[in-house]
Amino acid sequence: MTHSAVPRAGESQQLDQAEATVPPPPPPSAATATASATATASATATGDAITVEGVRFGYPGRSVLDGVDLRVAHGELLALVGLNGCGKSTLLRLAAGLLRPSAGRVLLGGDDLGRLSRRAAARRVALLHQSAPAVPGMTVRQLVRQGRYATRGPLGMLREGDDETSRRALVDAGVADWAARGVDTLSGGERQRVRLAMALAQDTPVLLLDEPTTYLDLRHQLEVLQTVVRLREERALTVVMVLHDLAHAARFAERIVALRGGRVAADGPPGEVVTPALLADVLGVAGRVGRDPEGGWPVCYPDHPLPLAK
Amino acid sequence: MSAVSVDGGAGDNGGGPAVARRMVLVGVLLLVAVVADLVAGRAVSPAGVWQVLLGGGDDTARHIVLQLRLPRMLVALVAGACLGLAGLVLQSALRNPLAGPEVTGVTPGAVLGAVAATGLGLAGWESPAAVVVAACVGGFAGAGLLWVLAGRDRGDPEQTAVHGVLVSAVLTGLTAMVLLVAPGELGSVVQWLVGSIEGRVWDHWNLIWPWALCWTAAACALAGPLTLLRCGDEQAAAVGLATGRARAVALVCAVALTAGAVSVVGALGFVGLLVPHVALALFGADLRIGLPGAALLGATVVCGADAVAQGASRVLTVVLDMDRLTLPTGAVTTFAGAALLLIVVRRVPLSRP
Repeated sequence: MTHSAVPRAGESQQLDQAEATVPPPPPPSAATATASATATASATATGDAITVEGVRFGYPGRSVLDGVDLRVAHGELLALVGLNGCGKSTLLRLAAGLLRPSAGRVLLGGDDLGRLSRRAAARRVALLHQSAPAVPGMTVRQLVRQGRYATRGPLGMLREGDDETSRRALVDAGVADWAARGVDTLSGGERQRVRLAMALAQDTPVLLLDEPTTYLDLRHQLEVLQTVVRLREERALTVVMVLHDLAHAARFAERIVALRGGRVAADGPPGEVVTPALLADVLGVAGRVGRDPEGGWPVCYPDHPLPLAK
Repeated sequence: MSAVSVDGGAGDNGGGPAVARRMVLVGVLLLVAVVADLVAGRAVSPAGVWQVLLGGGDDTARHIVLQLRLPRMLVALVAGACLGLAGLVLQSALRNPLAGPEVTGVTPGAVLGAVAATGLGLAGWESPAAVVVAACVGGFAGAGLLWVLAGRDRGDPEQTAVHGVLVSAVLTGLTAMVLLVAPGELGSVVQWLVGSIEGRVWDHWNLIWPWALCWTAAACALAGPLTLLRCGDEQAAAVGLATGRARAVALVCAVALTAGAVSVVGALGFVGLLVPHVALALFGADLRIGLPGAALLGATVVCGADAVAQGASRVLTVVLDMDRLTLPTGAVTTFAGAALLLIVVRRVPLSRP
């Protein structure tokens, strides 16, 4: 690792101010300050939210992750970027405990994920998958309530009740109006938000989002990302999301980690990481980088694809 | 905010009142099937059956109703409930709308077990307990064979279905070979191949109901995990389900339910494959309601089919001017099921991961 995992205090303040000017709605700077204060306090008290130590992972004949080290502090909002197949989704699955690393280990709040049961892990970390099969005949409310499985257990699922957490998740993800509709009658973008609600219903301190904005139009992309930013501030969540749109990553994340060839290629605040060199080396694109005139976050002007170096 | 709309409507289970109405409707149909099955046979008229049930009637009528028709009807109910449940458990656990005990090697395996045990003289209609054991062993062997053959394609509904047809064909062929080698028992054994409830008595009932009750309870306790398995392994695992273990337990449950039913009534075609589709259409994807619903529907279908089989036997006896003719219940479920399968195949898209 070349960069410090936790953003230095000065940078994160700068970023907070940058975020505070994002219209609409500007997050109240008081709440932001409290959130980052809480985050710093809990980070020093209990260590990192997610610790990835020397993780390798591969399928027969193909190595996906080739020694990844990453520390994500409590309350951090981190974006993972990289080319297709660079191991972003695999890293998220490893961090959710859905895959086991072939070498190295993943810790959640200091505990080895390999030693946690599936249910214990699901009480600590929720993962929104890139895509999911349609479930014929299931309503939005029923699907979102499935997110409560880890806290209720197999027999608990027999009990009646639309508990407060799944109700709140429906509202938070903005899907409450469709609660009684069948999931298979929704569009791709609507389904994506329903699955966000399902992940929120897990009510975990760590939220992993694999391309949460796929299938969404620009308006709903911003809506989902602002919801994530807001919830993270309100509940001091730790959020790691895979984003393909570098503009979103630069604007919403306080830290960007770029993967290339199964390794961390760059790590730091958007202002430092998003450079023409990153575009060329990690994303295989020639282009320029400017600044948003209002918010000050980096803006990319991609030009043309570069031949990929093997 | 929109919390009102979340609260609004009693539709906590997706359909609410509509689902409750449908459950009542199925209950009424079940009652109709029960009454029809009791009065459909020959020799005792409906009025005679009613008299016996009220405590009257002559000795012959009493024997026919209390010793033959009542256990037969009860066995039909339990076998139907088992097959309906087994089908829904299988389809949910394998996330495969084409999975049913008939096409996953479970039923053919159970039949092979029962037939082989009978052919070897280890079991027979006189020793029904041995038949249950043999059918269970056969059912697990059939499912295990599919598990091994399907290999990495287990998650693919179409590949699993293709392998299931293969396994079923092989097992049916083996059954035919057993029948050729030991033709002495042919008469009674043929009933297993088609599925029949003719001649089931209290012995069979005593044997099947504790087994069925036990595994029905197990299946219903799996409602939560099974509902999740229908959402796909990735989502199920992400919210905390150990998918491998849940699927294994569900499969054991499905095989046990099927084997129990097959050991008593034989291979009733299409019940386990089609009842789940009707149950899902009526009761929605929440298996807390869907599983009991499938059990009720299965019981209704098999009991009703038995009534139809008895009625049709009487009609055919007259029409064909034959001395005695018994249409097996399995023939009725197969004919009705084939028609229904056409509808289902056109309506249900194969869900792909």
